[in-house]
Amino acid sequence: MNEYDVVVLGGGPAGLAAALASFNEGMNTLIIERENRLGGILKQCIHDGFGLIKFKEKLTGPEYAQRYIEQVLACQIPVLLNTFVLTVEKAGTGFVITLVNAAQGVEQIKTRSLILATGCRERTAKQVFINGTRPAGVFTAGTAQHLVNIEGYLPGKKCVILGSGDIGLIMARRLTLEGAQVLAVYEAKSTPSGLSRNIVQCLNDFHIPLHLSTTITRVFGDNRVEAVEIARVDENMRPIKGTEQVISCDTVILSVGLIPENEIADMLGVEIDAATKGPVVDQNFMTSVEGVFSCGNALHVNDLVDYVSESGEIAGANAAQYVREATPRQLAEIKMSPDFLYVVPQQININSSNRKAVLYFRSREVRENMRVTIKSGDQVLLSKRYVILRPPEMERVRLVIKDGLASNQIEITMEPVKNKEMAL
Amino acid sequence: MKHLICIECPIGCSLTAVKSGEQWEIKGNRCRKGEQFAINELTDPRRSVCSTVKTTYRKVPRLPVRTNGEVPLNAIFAVMEQINAVTLDHPVHIGEVIIENVCNTGINVIATSDLYYLLEEDGQ
Amino acid sequence: MVRGDTVRKRLQVLENRVRKTISPDVSLRKWHSSIILEGTVSTWDQLYDAGKMCANQGYKGVVNKLKVKGLEILKIKKPQLADDFLQGKQVDVLVIGGGIIGCAIARELAKWQLSILLVEKEEDVAMHASSRNDGMIHPGIEPKIGSKKAIFNVKGNEMYTRVARELDVKLIRCGSSVLFDSPLLKLVKPVLDIRANKMGVKGISLLSREEALQKEPNIGVPIAGAVHFATTGIISPYKMTVAYAENAVQNGAEVSLNTVVLSMTKEHGRITSVKTNRGTVYPKVVINAAGTFADIIADMAGDQFFSIHPRKGEILFLDKKKGELINGVIGKPSLTQTKSNTKGGGVVKTVDGNVLVGPDAYEQPFREDFSTNMNNIEAIMQKHLPLIRGFSPADVIAYCAGIRACTYEEDFIIERSEYVDNLVYAAGIQSPGLASAPAIAAEIERITCKVLSEVMDVKPKQNWNPIRKGIPELSSMDFESRSKIIKENPHYGEIVCRCEGISKGEIIAAIHSPIPVTSVDAIKRRVRAGMGRCQGGFCLPTVMTIINEETGIPMTSITKKGNDSNIVVAETKQNPTTGGEGVE
Repeated sequence: MNEYDVVVLGGGPAGLAAALASFNEGMNTLIIERENRLGGILKQCIHDGFGLIKFKEKLTGPEYAQRYIEQVLACQIPVLLNTFVLTVEKAGTGFVITLVNAAQGVEQIKTRSLILATGCRERTAKQVFINGTRPAGVFTAGTAQHLVNIEGYLPGKKCVILGSGDIGLIMARRLTLEGAQVLAVYEAKSTPSGLSRNIVQCLNDFHIPLHLSTTITRVFGDNRVEAVEIARVDENMRPIKGTEQVISCDTVILSVGLIPENEIADMLGVEIDAATKGPVVDQNFMTSVEGVFSCGNALHVNDLVDYVSESGEIAGANAAQYVREATPRQLAEIKMSPDFLYVVPQQININSSNRKAVLYFRSREVRENMRVTIKSGDQVLLSKRYVILRPPEMERVRLVIKDGLASNQIEITMEPVKNKEMAL
Repeated sequence: MKHLICIECPIGCSLTAVKSGEQWEIKGNRCRKGEQFAINELTDPRRSVCSTVKTTYRKVPRLPVRTNGEVPLNAIFAVMEQINAVTLDHPVHIGEVIIENVCNTGINVIATSDLYYLLEEDGQ
Repeated sequence: MVRGDTVRKRLQVLENRVRKTISPDVSLRKWHSSIILEGTVSTWDQLYDAGKMCANQGYKGVVNKLKVKGLEILKIKKPQLADDFLQGKQVDVLVIGGGIIGCAIARELAKWQLSILLVEKEEDVAMHASSRNDGMIHPGIEPKIGSKKAIFNVKGNEMYTRVARELDVKLIRCGSSVLFDSPLLKLVKPVLDIRANKMGVKGISLLSREEALQKEPNIGVPIAGAVHFATTGIISPYKMTVAYAENAVQNGAEVSLNTVVLSMTKEHGRITSVKTNRGTVYPKVVINAAGTFADIIADMAGDQFFSIHPRKGEILFLDKKKGELINGVIGKPSLTQTKSNTKGGGVVKTVDGNVLVGPDAYEQPFREDFSTNMNNIEAIMQKHLPLIRGFSPADVIAYCAGIRACTYEEDFIIERSEYVDNLVYAAGIQSPGLASAPAIAAEIERITCKVLSEVMDVKPKQNWNPIRKGIPELSSMDFESRSKIIKENPHYGEIVCRCEGISKGEIIAAIHSPIPVTSVDAIKRRVRAGMGRCQGGFCLPTVMTIINEETGIPMTSITKKGNDSNIVVAETKQNPTTGGEGVE
C-alpha cells in the first residue's frame, strides 16, 4: 500500500492550493481528482473576475486554475485523475483510503493526514419543491454552464432563471451572448443574492428583468418544457395563492443554492455545522477528527476563489504541521450573535503554534454602518467598521490570538456604529 | 435622471446622475472613484467579453477566450460574432492572441486555457 | 321471461339509486353480463361514485361511459414514430403493454416454440406504473379473501425468490412492520391468524413495543406494538421489468418500443389483425396487458366489459444518507381493506438504500398525467415523515407520480375473453400487481397455451434459458470482485455518477443491452445514473457524451425520454449571433 503524509481529495482551487502548501513544507503529498483534468469547477467558469485579490488581475476561471496547475506540475506533485474515493477509514495514526479508477481497479492507500477539498453540488428543483411534470429542459445552472462552455451546446432558446445568485446571473449573460433569449430572472428573496456587479453586467446590460419575491412553482410540458408557473411569495418565501402566472418558455435554469459535499466527512464522523453545511473547524481548518482538514467550498460556500485558495493554503500548511508534530488541542468555541449567518472557523485552538487566524463570516441581513467586535471575555481581539454588510458578500478578517485569552469563549457580535461619520 | 450601482468596491453605492448641459452631475457616491465610474458608464460604458471558440478537436470542442481589455458595451454582440466565426485548428497557449484588434476596438481576443495541455493524453 | 323480468327489475332498482344519489342524467343498460353507465354528470367524483355504486352488484364488470360536463378527456399520447417496420408480420402471440405484467408474460411464453411480439407505446419498458411504485412485494394479507389479488399476491410473493435469482435482480426479504398505537389491537392477532391461514400468508408475528423498536430503533411515533410480516420483500420494479423483458428477448421474443395499437379487425369472433403506427400485424392470440388503457384495447376488440378509472398517487424519495435510519418497510395503514382500496402507504427502504415515502391515492380523470402537486407532496410529508425520527422535508431529493389501472370491481382480470376467442386479459392490475407479477405471468402462460393449442401445436423450446445476467452493479460489490471486472474492462473503473457510484462501463452496457436504449432516462432506469442526490447535475453531460460516443447519435438528438424530449437544442456558434435584446 502506498503511503503519504498528506492526501488532498479534490483538485480544484482549494485542493491545488492545499497540495502546494503541503508540498512546500516538504510533505509527501498526493492529489486525488475524480475528473479527467485538474481545475475543478473553474474549468467551466470562463467569465472573468477571478484573482482580483490574489493576483491583482481580473482573470477567467481557467486562467486562475492554470496558475496553480502549472505549479503543481512543475513540483511534480503526484496526481491521480479519473479516480473516485469509495471509503475513508481511520486506521492507527492515519487513514486508509479506498479508491477506484480504470487503471488500477480498486486500490487502497495510507495517509497520515487528509484534506477534504471536495467542493459543493447544486440544489435541485425537487429540493425547492418545484412540482408539475418532468420534461427535458430543466437544468441547474452549473450543468447548463458545462454544456455551453465545455461541450458547446445551447440548453434552450427561451429561458427563465430561478435564483439571482452569481451562477444564475452569469448564465443569464452567457446564454444571451450565445443566442438564447433569457425572459426573466426570478428570485424568491426580497433582495438579490448575487454581487451588484453581476446584476449590472449580466442583467441590466441586456435588459433582462429581475423579479424579486417571486418563485417558480410548477413546470409544464410533456417531453420538453413548455411553460412554468410563477408566483409571488411572502416573507417566509411561501407562494401566495392567487398570484400565479403562467410563463411560456422552453428552458428552466435553476440557481437555487450550493450545498457543500461532505459524504467523505460523514463517513469519518466529522462534526458538521448546520449553518455552513460544512465541517466545524479550528483556525488551522482541522475538523473534529484529528488529522482531517477541510477547505474551499466543502467547508463553506465562498463567493471569491481567492479566499478558497487561501483556505487551501492554510489547510495544507497546517496538515503539514500536524504530520510533523501532532499536539493536543485546546479548543475555544466562537460564539456568534444571531446577527451572523455563520462564522468559519467555529473554534480556535488555543494550543496551536498558529496564532494568526483568518475568519470568514456572513451577516444574516443587509446592515449598514456596523461595528463587528470579536472579544474573549473583556479582551477585544478585533474591532472593525463596515459601511455595509450583505449576506451574499462574505467578509474576511485577520485575528491575532494573544497568549492567555481572557476566557475559553470567544464572541463575535455586531452593533450599529455610534457616530454617523461615513468611513472610506 | 439615471440610476446606477457603482461596482468599484463592495460597498456598491446607489448613484443618481443628472445631465446638465454637457456635464453629468453625480450624487450618492462616497468617493471620487464612484463619480468617475458613473461618468464613464454614462459616456463610454465598456465591458470585457468572455466566451469560447470552436475547435476542430473532438476531445476539446470549445476553448475559452476573453478580450484582453474592455470593449465598448454596444460592440459586445459584434465581438461575439467575430468570436463565433473562429474555428481553432491548432493548439495554443494561455494568452495567445486568437483575434487581433477585434472589431477595431484595439483590443485582442486571447485564449484563457492551454489547448496543448487540454489535448494531452490523460496521464495516470 | 321471468328471469328477464328479474334482471330488468334489478337493473331498474340500481339505476334509480344512481339517479337519486348521483345524477338524474345517468342511464344503465346491460351488455352481456356487464353493466354500462351512460349519460352526463357534473364532476369526476360523481362519475367515479356512480361506477362504484354499480360494482360488485352481481355484474361481471362496470363499463363507465359517463361524461363529465365540460371535461375534455385527453387522447392517448402516441409516439411520433410512424413506419412500416412491422407491416404484415405474423406472430403467434402479440402482447400489448411493456409494463412488468406484459414483460413477465413474454418471458414465460418464451419457453415455448412460439413467435412472440411485445408492443409498448413508450420509448422504453416500465415507463408507467412499473417504474412508479415503491417496489414492495406485499405479503398478501390485505386483499379481499378469495379475490384474484389475494390469490396471485401470495403465489407471486413465494415465486419471487426463484425468479429474482434467475433474472439476476436484487431482492431483499426485509419484512414489514405495521405499527399500532392501541394495545387493544393485540386482540386482532387471532383474527389475523385465521385470515392468514385462509389466504396462505405465512410468517406473521406480533411484536411487542420493545421488539418493534429493536427491529426499527428510530420509530418516531408512540406505539403499543407492531404486526410483522416476514415475507414482505423489496425489489427495484423497473429493473425487474427490464430483466423480464431482456430474458424474453434472449429467448427469441421481440420487443417493439414506440409502438402503439391503433385498431383491430375481427372475423367470426376472433381478432384477425392489429393495426399499429408501425404497420399491421397478424397475431394468433392477443394478450391485453395495457395497463391504464386496457379497457380501450378491449373496446377495439368490441369486448369492453370493464372500465379503468385512473387512481393517482405520488411518492417521495429521501436522500440515501437517511436510509440507515430504517431497516425495512414500515407503515401504519389499515390491516384489511376497509375504507380505501389501497393501503395507506408508509416508508420503504429500497434495495439501493434510498427511502421511499408514500404513496397517497386519489381519483382523477387523466390516465397519463404524471405531474406532481405541492399539496399532495406536503400531505405525504406530514403524514409519513414523523414515522421515523430523523426524517425531514430537507431530505427529499425527488418525487414522482404514478397512475394505478383500477377497475370498478377493484380486482385483477386474469382470464380468456368470454366473447373473443383469441383475446386474453391481464388487466386491472393495480397494487399488489408487482408482487403478483410472477404468478399472473404463469397463469396467463397457461391460458395462452391452451388458446393456442386449439389452432397449433404448442411445443416447449429445447434451449430455453431462464437465466439472465444483468449489468453488474459495481457499487454494491466487494472490492475484489469489483477490481476483477475492472481489470477485464477498464471502463468499469471510471466513475461517472458520483452520487450512486455508477461507472462508464455500466452505462455502456445499458446502451448495448438486449433491449438497446439511448435516452438518458432509460439508462437511468437500468443503472441508476442520475438518481442520486444531485439528480444528474454532474453526470448528465458525461452520460450524453457516452451515448454520443457509443451510438453516433449527435448530442442535439439525444433525448431525456424519447420523442422530442431533446436535452440540448442546438450546437452553439452555428449561426451568426443575433442581437438578443440589444444593448445601449
